[in-house]
Amino acid sequence: MGGDAGEERLARVRLNFFACNRCDWLLRLMELYGGAAPLLTRPAAELAAESGVALETADRLKAQTSACDPEKELRAAARAGATVLTGLDEAYPELLKKIYDPPLVLYLRGSLRAMPAAGIVGTRRATPYGLRTAARLSADLAAAGVAVVSGLARGVDTAAHEAAVKAGGVTWAAMGTGLGTVFPSENEKLAERIVGAGGALISEFPMDMGPWPSHFPRRNRIISGLSLATVVVEGGFESGALITARFALEQGREVLAVPGQVDCPASKGPNYFIKNGACPAETADDIIACFPPEYLFGVKRVRSAGARSPSEAALRDLSADALTAFKAIAGDEAGLTADEVTLKLAWPVQRSAAALFELEAAGTLMSRGGRYCRAV
Amino acid sequence: MLSKLRTLCLKGIDGREVSAEVYIAPGLPSYTVVGLPDAAVKEAKDRVVAAVRNSGCDFPSKRITVNLAPAEIKKAGTHFDLPIALGVLAAAGKFGKKAPARLGETFFIGELALDGTLRPVAGVLPMLLAIKGTGATAVVPAGNAAEAAVSGVKCLAAASLKDAADWIAGATELGPCLSPAAGAPAARPSRDLAEVKGQAFAKRALEIAAAGFHNILLVGPPGTGKSMLARRFSTLLPPMTFDESLETTKLYSVSGLSAAGRLLHERPFREPHHTISDAALIGGGSSPRPGEVSLAHNGVLFLDEFPEFSRPAIEALREPLEAWQVTVARVRESVAYPARFLLVAAMNPCPCGYLGHPTRECSCTPLQVQKYRARVSGPILDRIDLHVQLSAVKYADWEALPDGEPSAAVAARVSRAMETQRRRFSGITRANAFMSGVDLRKHCALPEGASAVLETAMNRLGFSARSLDKILKISRTIADLEGAADIKREHVTEAVQYRMLDKAAELSAAI
Repeated sequence: MGGDAGEERLARVRLNFFACNRCDWLLRLMELYGGAAPLLTRPAAELAAESGVALETADRLKAQTSACDPEKELRAAARAGATVLTGLDEAYPELLKKIYDPPLVLYLRGSLRAMPAAGIVGTRRATPYGLRTAARLSADLAAAGVAVVSGLARGVDTAAHEAAVKAGGVTWAAMGTGLGTVFPSENEKLAERIVGAGGALISEFPMDMGPWPSHFPRRNRIISGLSLATVVVEGGFESGALITARFALEQGREVLAVPGQVDCPASKGPNYFIKNGACPAETADDIIACFPPEYLFGVKRVRSAGARSPSEAALRDLSADALTAFKAIAGDEAGLTADEVTLKLAWPVQRSAAALFELEAAGTLMSRGGRYCRAV
Repeated sequence: MLSKLRTLCLKGIDGREVSAEVYIAPGLPSYTVVGLPDAAVKEAKDRVVAAVRNSGCDFPSKRITVNLAPAEIKKAGTHFDLPIALGVLAAAGKFGKKAPARLGETFFIGELALDGTLRPVAGVLPMLLAIKGTGATAVVPAGNAAEAAVSGVKCLAAASLKDAADWIAGATELGPCLSPAAGAPAARPSRDLAEVKGQAFAKRALEIAAAGFHNILLVGPPGTGKSMLARRFSTLLPPMTFDESLETTKLYSVSGLSAAGRLLHERPFREPHHTISDAALIGGGSSPRPGEVSLAHNGVLFLDEFPEFSRPAIEALREPLEAWQVTVARVRESVAYPARFLLVAAMNPCPCGYLGHPTRECSCTPLQVQKYRARVSGPILDRIDLHVQLSAVKYADWEALPDGEPSAAVAARVSRAMETQRRRFSGITRANAFMSGVDLRKHCALPEGASAVLETAMNRLGFSARSLDKILKISRTIADLEGAADIKREHVTEAVQYRMLDKAAELSAAI
């Protein structure tokens, strides 16, 4: 049977070249024919008739699957240090198997340890509040022994992965490209650190697949599918984060949302979910509390103090000027520029410069594009 | 017959004496100019022929040879028309067998129109300065009279070839060149720093830049007043000294730009467009001309949209920023133009311009931002001491903004700080921006608390060792502006604010 299993495995990798674009009807056909290998032997007309798709689609399936070389693909994956998982493998994540259209093939770098996982998703154009919150939740989850799942995109995703790695925890990145490409490219180092920290890079796309716009929403079902609960940190109505949350709901998983200001466009999505019954995620505990009880073994209890303002001690060490400046800045979500601080406090520039330096050096403030805002 | 006249030419921005010799020999009519003339000098022939005939004289149909000596200097320009025409007349016997004294002793400069009138030419001032103090007299076109008067050389203004010829013959006298009426002083600067609302940090940075001769980079979204501030920058600088203004006027004269022939009093402000070629920016051409950097000599060079300038143009700035002059080397000659300017560069924070804008959303990826900023190369950035972030002002805030300090008040502080620096650096005109490592150790001793600031800047904010030197220099200037003998902690904490591009987090956080 080893030969059959090996053949079936190759057939699945072959089929995945086409199936990674849409696969629910193929899964049904695989069930019908008893695997990918027999499916691939059938003529296009029969496949079209059985599944109800157009003949052209079936033709395309035949053309694409016969054009590819699954053995070469497996060698390429091995070279890149990636494991190839199919539904036949033990290591294929249980939770992901349970979703409506699990990926036919999973390419994996690093390890997918059996542990509870939570997705943290949000817009690429996050506000400082979103980044700060994503990072805090992620760090606390990682410290509690929960894997943080996200999409390796800019903004919230990056903040979540970064924080988990920094906290020494496990984080999984479900990528919208093949494992041979990191998109966006500035996250290449982050990707390596994720693997180095015992996390994983996961993709259903063939190794050398570049970034295609349609692939990103598709990989979102993997994020939610791997997670017991998905947290929407920030995102407008058309944001990909909301797609992930909808997948989570379809898959019967929990959706939480980080409450935001009502007049902030980036918080429209999460606030909408809360209005419709999603649990507000204020701390990592809120998220863990949503896990089904059988998954709670091994989850450590961390004291997550909620949205922290900088510790009393840190503030006590500041000079009076720095404290005044901090209070002026902390109230403004978008942050203030050095000029605005100067104006608001009616100080000479020297005085505000000294205060800002003190706050930035103390790590209480950070500056992004010239605006000072509360540091994470 | 042979005649010999004196005239002048330019080498770089300095004048050289040239003698124009004309020899008329019997033979087939021909006209040859020898002595390394350029195209414009060769063209003089046709103008000279027409001008001589239209001045009521005969142009000899003989074999004419014109020699411009010394032959090794390249002769460029149209101002040889007058000496050549007079030489031809003299050689043809117009002034009699024995040439009058005026012919041989006077320097002649001028371009001829076809009807024989004299047109003004470029470079009169630097040429005349070459014979200053020799007691010689020069005849210049009436259109250059004002500029010639500045030189201090005894000059006579001629309106036409006929006037000059008659004067040589002793038939008429020419009027002396006079400075324009003293009642027309340089127009008052119409701009003032007070007109710019808000941007307290940028204004302060400009003050520091002016005081310590630090080059400065303004970073901010469109419409935040980068150009407005830069255009008011020269109002912070003290007026030019006589020598400075003479130097600058010379450069303008060489370029044919001397405004109405006056001595320049206001510091130049040059604002070349970003499509400028590297040759136009730093100077060049087969017969070299000063570029924008030299026209900004003793003044301000403002480069708006700095990353949009071509790479060769940006890189070409390295020499003038370092050596204060530009050497244009050609096979035939190599000339040096002074270029001691203060660079004010302005750029958007990202390609779309709205990174960090309070209301507009930036549409650039971090990679795009990084690429955009990398267009300004490290070595150039290294010569820019101050970088300061400007931010968009919300309208509500804008209305409430107090009026700024007038330029005059800032300029007074700047002058004082400059005076301090003059004393510190033992008389030579040097500024804090040019301190060497030795100077830094000598003049920038830090008090206890301040060195801790630098350490934090390095460890927590990711500043490089190199930027620490810059911070020290800026701190020194800030202390000078305050009249403090020693650098204090608050000077250093302020200086850190003007090195925004050094912060390691600045880019990575721009996601």
